[in-house]
Amino acid sequence: MTRDHWEVLCWRLAILVAVLGAWEYLTGIKAISKTPGLYWIDPFFISRPSAIARRFLYLASAEVRLTIWAMALSTVQSTVWGFLVGISTGFVAGLVLGRNDRLARIFEPYIIAFNSLPRIALVPLITMIFGFGLLAKIVLAWTIVFFIVFFNTFQGARSVDADLIHSARFLGASEGQIMRTVVIPSALAWTFASLTPSISFALIGVVVGEFIGGESGGGLGYLIIQSLGTLNAADMMVALLVLGVIGIVMALGIKQVESRLLRWRPEYQKR
Amino acid sequence: MAGPRVRIAIRDLSKTFAQGSREVAAVDRVSFDVCDKEFVAVVGPSGCGKSTILNMIGALVAPSGGQILVDGQPVAGRPAPQVGYVFQKDTVFPWRTVERNIALGLEYRGIPPAERERRVREAITLAGLQGFEDAFPATLSGGMRQRVALMRSLIVDPEILLMDEPFGALDTHTKLTLHAELLGLWEAKHQTVVFVTHDLSEAITLADRVVVLTRRPGKVKLIYEVRLRRPRDVITLRETGEYLREYGEIWHALGEEFAERTA
Repeated sequence: MTRDHWEVLCWRLAILVAVLGAWEYLTGIKAISKTPGLYWIDPFFISRPSAIARRFLYLASAEVRLTIWAMALSTVQSTVWGFLVGISTGFVAGLVLGRNDRLARIFEPYIIAFNSLPRIALVPLITMIFGFGLLAKIVLAWTIVFFIVFFNTFQGARSVDADLIHSARFLGASEGQIMRTVVIPSALAWTFASLTPSISFALIGVVVGEFIGGESGGGLGYLIIQSLGTLNAADMMVALLVLGVIGIVMALGIKQVESRLLRWRPEYQKR
Repeated sequence: MAGPRVRIAIRDLSKTFAQGSREVAAVDRVSFDVCDKEFVAVVGPSGCGKSTILNMIGALVAPSGGQILVDGQPVAGRPAPQVGYVFQKDTVFPWRTVERNIALGLEYRGIPPAERERRVREAITLAGLQGFEDAFPATLSGGMRQRVALMRSLIVDPEILLMDEPFGALDTHTKLTLHAELLGLWEAKHQTVVFVTHDLSEAITLADRVVVLTRRPGKVKLIYEVRLRRPRDVITLRETGEYLREYGEIWHALGEEFAERTA
């Protein structure tokens, strides 16, 4: 690591310590020293780092029926499933419509109409159909991811360089071989660009699903909504913290896969 | 007299493009033949429709009038299987390594991997691309990428090779190197070549005959026989009196066409 890397890392750490320190310190100052429960910055609303850490340890322990780990697992599971189903269906649909003008024209109004529908508005309906469990959350994530991947792949499949197709044809390629060796690799670059937003949106879909999914769906969204019921800011913060970590890990994972599969692109050529 | 076999016969070939509501003529009743094992260059000012002619031979563009016969068969729809094409634009697949780009044609034809590998290795040696087998095109220079494109076309042994300003984007030095390599490869197999360029010296260096087109709409102005001996040395060739004489003669004819554009 270079000196520059270290400096950036130090600054990041310094900011984290400063924010946590200020948070812990400021929420400890009482407005009127003798009166309990009156603060300038009230920990009731935003909790305190020390309280969050205590709650985290408690929720992670075996003392609770539904541990934070089980909830995180449920959230990750639904997100990953919704994501996988969403990208595979979105990719295939994008490829098919991207290479078939007639089909694209036929489906265009339906796709636009469905995509402009706020997906959150579908949550009650999806819950009604698929129940309160894992399936409803997966379906919700899927309805979001599908369109993101679909539109990107569609664009990618349409913008395949015609001369690449021609040169494949001159080399004796059949239509199927052109699809496999030219159209798909070329569209994949576009598809990959949609994966990072897709995983974040899948996570959003799942958490919203968990808001109304209740305990049977489990998950971190359930913890948040339950904490709202008990006015427990610390538990909410724990859930947000874990969600943040999940988001980062998933995004990094996708970057890894992307840089492996797109290693032919100039930006990944540093080896 | 039994003349050489005609591989490509072009008869009264015309092409008009719709530009808004207007019809613009790009190619106007062009006729010439390309014989077996012959290297023909088509030159003309930019916009004269020379690439369009090549695209029509390659079945990429449909003619508006006239006819093209490749080995006696009218060109329609799909390119004839004996025809190869090298584009001006970089058409090397960026997601495939050098080796796998060159192997494409063999892969499409279902050649078994062992033979494929042997022929690819041969082609890589021939093109001087050793050490770059596993490199992706993004890491290569323009000259090397065009070398890969050339070998990719040649590996399937096309009897007829259409080349559309394949070295147009390269610097002079790289261009000369590739001329020498192309001539070397051509001497070995004697493919029938139609080579489109706007660079007259390139045309004379490479070709047996030069078809000179007029400005748009392109008509055949004259067809010039290049009498330089083969095999040719692309570097020393340019200093010979014969080369300069040939150049001067065609330049005279072409000069008028270029002059009005560049004036």
